[in-house]
Amino acid sequence: MKVETKVGLLFVVAVAMVAAFAYYLGVLNPFSDSYKVELGYNFAGGIEVGSKVRVMGIEVGKVTAIDFEPGLRMPKTGEEVKLKITATVSKKAWPTVRQDSKFFINLAGVIGEKYLEVSPGSSESPALEPGQLVRGEDPPRIDQLISQSYGLAGKILDLVQKNEGSITDTLDKMNSLVTNVNKTLVLLEKTTKNEKFSHIVNNVDTLTSDLTILTAKLRGPEAQRTMDLMHRLVWRLDKLDEPAIRKFLQQEGIKAHLF
Amino acid sequence: MIETLNPFALLGTWLLNAYDSTSEFLKLTLLTLVATFTPPFRFRDTIKQFYFVANQSVLIVCFCVTSAAAVTIVESSYHMKLVIQNDSLVPGFAALLILRELGSVVMALLITSRVGAGLAAEVGSMQITEQVDALKMLGINPIRFIVVPRFVACIFAGILLAVIANLVCLYGAMVVSTWKLGYTTGGFITAMRGFVHFRDLVFAAIKGAAFGSVIPLFSCFYGFRCKSGAEGVGLATTNSVVATSVSVIVIDFCLTYVFTNFY
Repeated sequence: MKVETKVGLLFVVAVAMVAAFAYYLGVLNPFSDSYKVELGYNFAGGIEVGSKVRVMGIEVGKVTAIDFEPGLRMPKTGEEVKLKITATVSKKAWPTVRQDSKFFINLAGVIGEKYLEVSPGSSESPALEPGQLVRGEDPPRIDQLISQSYGLAGKILDLVQKNEGSITDTLDKMNSLVTNVNKTLVLLEKTTKNEKFSHIVNNVDTLTSDLTILTAKLRGPEAQRTMDLMHRLVWRLDKLDEPAIRKFLQQEGIKAHLF
Repeated sequence: MIETLNPFALLGTWLLNAYDSTSEFLKLTLLTLVATFTPPFRFRDTIKQFYFVANQSVLIVCFCVTSAAAVTIVESSYHMKLVIQNDSLVPGFAALLILRELGSVVMALLITSRVGAGLAAEVGSMQITEQVDALKMLGINPIRFIVVPRFVACIFAGILLAVIANLVCLYGAMVVSTWKLGYTTGGFITAMRGFVHFRDLVFAAIKGAAFGSVIPLFSCFYGFRCKSGAEGVGLATTNSVVATSVSVIVIDFCLTYVFTNFY
């Protein structure tokens, strides 16, 4: 083989190796098997070009571009967003990405690399169009959270300093309350171990059992009939007042001193 | 005798020699650059030199970088387990280390010892057998005739070998991590993708070109300064290998420093 041929072969091998490397890194992909989706954000939380895109935790694509676009508005709501992130989602995972899917920026791994998590939408919701602009979920801003916590801590400190006397008083009272509760609990514990108390408790238990049986019988048909008879008796006795009794005794010729 | 022990005289001699050597080397570099971009071009000779530098070195380079990759991945895994009890990120940063440093530097040092030493001996022999003077008498510029084809061939061979060395090195790391550390091939590539970018390979190729360019310059420089006799050739060869190795390390530091601005 000629020297020139060998040199040419080595060159071709090197180019093929570079192409394979670029393919595995996702830089070169002549057989594109993914769709693009554009996402609007106002805060991207440190996501970078090349960050992974995951659907249900499975890697399905990557972030391909991050553009600053002041004045960009969401088509449906008209909300102004300033960042446009372009991401790819593989054709295999695309059917799970629906109009109601959410696009979160999350943290993963030991070193906390950022990635785009796509929550699968419901099957009733229509499918997303390739290249459609969708509003992403802005991640919480840690700096704002810290700043708000700092303000809150300052307010709590102010409150404590202004009401130092009353707070101390309240704490003292709470302390004595806890002490009293503790004493009561100790006393209760001693009482429950006393024999007489146990006897009383047993009697009360028996009494309540008997009452249960009695009330059960009162709800029966026999008790109902008795109640009806008593009701009728009371109604008849109600008419038997002083003039009626006096009249009855006069008729019978009995002399008695009533009431 | 008294004069040679005079420290000022020693320092002065050393400084004058250093100045002479530096100016001569810069002159050689400048003339080589001028001759590289001006016709006539010696394509056939350049291809022959490329074959000598790249094709005949590729196997030894691949073997050595694969061994280096194996050591890197095993050691990285051991250290990570020692420090954070987890070596899941080892393929990622081992790949980055290979691409940013290991592949190119090991390749350059191997080429220095194989090609640089040979070039210095070849040019030194030409010098002491007065072949260089003969070229001058024939009106042929020795820099264009001897240095330029080797310079161009070494730059392109440096790029090509850096690419091949790095990718073979990565493949070797993948094989070792799959066989020894229990990773899957897909897991290795996924972890690697988290750290490695295509620009890392481009930077490695640039380093390869830079390392490749200094090898023939130092070899030819010491070859042209070669003194007569076998001892002179040996000294020229040794000096050329030492100077090239040191310059490879220094250039590596400078380029790494520059490239960090692009990350």
